[in-house]
Amino acid sequence: MLLPKFDYHEPLSVDEACQIMSDLGEKAKPLAGGTDLIVNMKKKILSPEHLVALSRIEDLRKIELLNGSVRIGACVTAAELAESQEIKRGLGALGQGAGILGSPLIRNLATVAGNLVSARPAADLPPPLMAYGAEVVLKSRRGERTLPLETFFQGPGQTLLEIDEILTEIIIQRPPESAGAGYIKLGTRKALEISLVNVAAYVALDSSGTTIEAARVVLGAVAPTPLRSPSAEKLLIGEKVDPSLFEKAGQAAAKDSRPIDDFRGSAQYRRDMVAVLTRRALNMALEQARRA
Amino acid sequence: MTQYTVINKRAPRLDAPDKSTGRAKYVDDMTLPGMLFGALLQSPLAHARILNIDVSKAKRLPGVKAVVTAEDAGLIKYGVSPARYDETLFCHEKVRYVGDEIAAVAAVDLETALEAISLIKVDYEELPAVFTPEEAMAQGAPVIHEEYPGNVCAEVHQEFGDVEAAFQDCDLIRTDRFVNKRQDAAFLEPNGCIADYDRFGNLTLYTSTQVPHYVQRTVAMVLKLPVGRVRVIKPYVGGGFGPKAAANPMELAACLLSKKIGRPVKMNYSREQVFLFSRARHQFVHTLTTGVKKDGTIMALKNECYLEGGAYASFGIATVYYAGSLLAAPYRLANMKYDGYRVYTNKPACGAQRGHGGVAARAAWEQQLDAIAEELGMDPIEFRLKNVMSAGDITCNDLNMSSFGMKDCIEAVKKGSGWSEKKGKMPKGKGIGMACGFFVSGAGYPIYRSDTYHATVTVKLSEDGGTATVYTGAAEIGQGSDTTMALIAAEALGVRYEDVRVASGDTEYGIDLGAYSSRTTLMTGHATKEAAESVKRQVLQVLGDRLKVPVDQMDIKNGYIVFKGETPDFSSIRTAYIKEHRGWTDNPDEEPLTFREAARLAYLEKGTIVGTGKYKPGKLGGKYKGAAVGTSPAYGCSAQVAEVSVDMETGKVSVERVTDAHDCGFAINRTSVEGQMEGSVSMGLGEALLEEVKFDEKGNILNANLAEYKIPTCLDMPNVKSLIVESNEPNGPFGAKEVGEGAIMPTIPAILNAVYDAIGVRINELPLTPERVYMAIRRKKGKQ
Ligand SMILES: Cc1cc2nc3c(=O)[nH]c(=O)nc-3n(C[C@H](O)[C@H](O)[C@H](O)COP(=O)(O)OP(=O)(O)OC[C@H]3O[C@@H](n4cnc5c(N)ncnc54)[C@H](O)[C@@H]3O)c2cc1C
Repeated sequence: MLLPKFDYHEPLSVDEACQIMSDLGEKAKPLAGGTDLIVNMKKKILSPEHLVALSRIEDLRKIELLNGSVRIGACVTAAELAESQEIKRGLGALGQGAGILGSPLIRNLATVAGNLVSARPAADLPPPLMAYGAEVVLKSRRGERTLPLETFFQGPGQTLLEIDEILTEIIIQRPPESAGAGYIKLGTRKALEISLVNVAAYVALDSSGTTIEAARVVLGAVAPTPLRSPSAEKLLIGEKVDPSLFEKAGQAAAKDSRPIDDFRGSAQYRRDMVAVLTRRALNMALEQARRA
Repeated sequence: MTQYTVINKRAPRLDAPDKSTGRAKYVDDMTLPGMLFGALLQSPLAHARILNIDVSKAKRLPGVKAVVTAEDAGLIKYGVSPARYDETLFCHEKVRYVGDEIAAVAAVDLETALEAISLIKVDYEELPAVFTPEEAMAQGAPVIHEEYPGNVCAEVHQEFGDVEAAFQDCDLIRTDRFVNKRQDAAFLEPNGCIADYDRFGNLTLYTSTQVPHYVQRTVAMVLKLPVGRVRVIKPYVGGGFGPKAAANPMELAACLLSKKIGRPVKMNYSREQVFLFSRARHQFVHTLTTGVKKDGTIMALKNECYLEGGAYASFGIATVYYAGSLLAAPYRLANMKYDGYRVYTNKPACGAQRGHGGVAARAAWEQQLDAIAEELGMDPIEFRLKNVMSAGDITCNDLNMSSFGMKDCIEAVKKGSGWSEKKGKMPKGKGIGMACGFFVSGAGYPIYRSDTYHATVTVKLSEDGGTATVYTGAAEIGQGSDTTMALIAAEALGVRYEDVRVASGDTEYGIDLGAYSSRTTLMTGHATKEAAESVKRQVLQVLGDRLKVPVDQMDIKNGYIVFKGETPDFSSIRTAYIKEHRGWTDNPDEEPLTFREAARLAYLEKGTIVGTGKYKPGKLGGKYKGAAVGTSPAYGCSAQVAEVSVDMETGKVSVERVTDAHDCGFAINRTSVEGQMEGSVSMGLGEALLEEVKFDEKGNILNANLAEYKIPTCLDMPNVKSLIVESNEPNGPFGAKEVGEGAIMPTIPAILNAVYDAIGVRINELPLTPERVYMAIRRKKGKQ
């Protein structure tokens, strides 16, 4: 398990990083926490000739509040997300996902952009981020573009990121007071766990606090990419809150899921668990929405 | 009761400062001048004929110093048990599992060695492979070893008493089938070694092993070196749990390479290679039939077991015997029949792992006994108490329970867990369960047939009289044996713990069979005690002669000479000592005569003071075939209560509390005893809930890493209440016996029984993953 040889770049600004990426093209890969990339390099799955470390670019390490939106720098770590007051206030489900990612050692290194770009179907941050309707900002020498996160994922390990692009930040519109979200991950042990299934749910209530105005249900590890459940969302929106509704939404989400059998678990179990976790995540979301 | 000054307390471990500051040297921390790096070529196929091996390109790669194959190594067969030597260092005609060793390379650095490995070209003719005992035993199945045409590596057929007759008298007979999964021992430190063959023909092997002695013998045999020319040194070791209890092909390859090149060669297993080498717990399929009387008396047990063994025998013969013999206690059982089959497959070889051979059997039976208790309408604890053995009982297969605090253990966990308040009163989804177990305190016989001592120990006093050093071949692998030997030596000699040093894990220091079968405290402990007592006697003899006091009127305690009668005038000894130490700031003045002064005097009279000790058990066990497996000078036993909570919708099990009582005879170091108990719970919990080595249909391991092979994290670990029971073992040093392996026995079945209590359905297959538990709950719902 030796690392292949590579050249190491340490740009100090996003522009400089974009320049390097533009110059080197396919030969280079951005390096954030390295908890995914370095592992793959040791396994010889990837052997980029150049690594472009993003760790010294201060701009990528901030969480900022700007006109009702929260902007999370690409290199913010899972540990920072889990502890951030800005995130806890209003974006609790993201904090929950970040707080159970890997182990303390991994959380101290793992970055939010690395989690998105590695595009693992079971990753912990895409579902809560998608539940909040997050967007990603991609930058290159050619310019900048902003995409909804849910269109970003193309398949396991595949995204819309171009070879010369860097993901610089994630933008989330601050949810209204009457909204809440929850995230649940199911694995076999209590830490250092790859989700068998994970679910994030978001609901916003109307002014009366009884009817669901907006809902998003995102399922992880049950399809090649994190998946929104249109049937569950459709079932929820415009309805009055009651326990059987969430039960039905869970069933609908299970139908939307497309799990596979693998050595970690069967498709049937995963599908059944989507129903359970969806109901629970919706309850968490509701509880939070009502608290406001 | 004897008043001890050193033992039976809480001693800090000798290795704690080194380990907690990161200074402890493991083999991979070591570098020798001129050292080369080795790598192995391992088979990518589960079963294939080797048509040709071309090493020419590898040899030509700059930086490569040697490439070796079976042609260089020869075809000497080795293994664990001489009755089943079935391995050669490198494969010649065939490979038998994915990972089988074909060649090795030594080069100036690891990159070069690995590149050279990739340049070796092997032509294979793939053969059909078998991966389960059923496939392997089927008519016309491909044969893995020519010598074993039916792929049965070993089989055992035993009957004690008359099981069928006893069943006639039973009121209830129950049959259950139980399956565990193939384990990885998941020790922290992957195996590694450095072999150093010098110009005088001496080979020194530094290696991460549990058994320097057996490694020394195997290396000597395979490389055709005199045993006296082979020295095995074990630096600090990061755990073993069984798979490090025999020589491995990497050690042999490193030795061969170093011998060929004349330079030191370092080799390491990657984590994946640890999984490939395996030699951990087998998969057992037990079918148990137990008969009882209405009043709860256990009458008879019929046990049939198939072990999936992998491609080589390793410890397998012993394992298949243990899977039968270790059910003969802790309950009185007059009739027991056992049919065991260990079957070769094209997977990595299984071997020994903590609780060798007995863990799955114990889990199966303790769960079945719980079910029987329920059918009889008895509380599981009352049922067990009715049947437990006590000290002096001999099992139907001739194992002698010379001390046996089983009843005390059961009562301790009953009280300690609040059993009576909880059992039957917990809400759905919560459960409580208990189980018992016992284990050998050192295998009664060495692995090869021999009258050898199992341990010889030397204690030497420093010539200044200030410290005693224990020289032992015993293997400190993290279990704390160095600390235990220091405590035993200090107590036996009468000095303080701080004044004893331990030099261990080196074949130059004496014979020691190593760290397996929970033998070290009892066996090496005996030898250490004897050696220390000899030193004490020698010192007191010289002192008695000088002071004209009979030796039996003196003792040594806590570093001071104790006179039973009047204190004689020892001023001449003190004056001489102080004269020798002019300028020293710690000379004795007003205090009683110190050990240091007496020991110095002894040296001045007799030269260096050295005491030796030795131990081997007497003849043990019965006369039937296989009677040796299961014998031991003593048996530890334990009971545990587990409390669990099960998420009824996801099937996820959380073990919330474990109450554990273990009879270790006598606790030399209470902290170490508790450490072993907690470690056993963690290992058993992993096996119960999480662990399974998984394969694809070609025999490749799917989870050969610690991300996908899941052992418990600290968050999965419950609080453990450890209760030490002491039964004063007559055959143990100071009354001590094992705690290392026996402590794992009850963990899995206690959890199984608690999960049943929580969900109302028995699960007969491990591990209890959320999915397996969920499916069981669903099946039950479906039936209702
Ligand atoms: C032991 C262990 C446990 C783990 N547990 C979990 C878990 O529980 N949940 C989970 O979701 N993940 C887990 N992971 C996976 C991994 O830690 C996460 O996905 C992590 O967030 C990756 O971030 P990183 O900063 O380490 O990414 P890196 O490894 O540095 O990069 C990953 C990929 O993203 C690219 N990249 C990184 N930053 C950018 C950027 N700004 N712009 C463009 N491309 C970029 C890299 O080029 C690379 O292709 C675990 C990993 C390990 C080793």
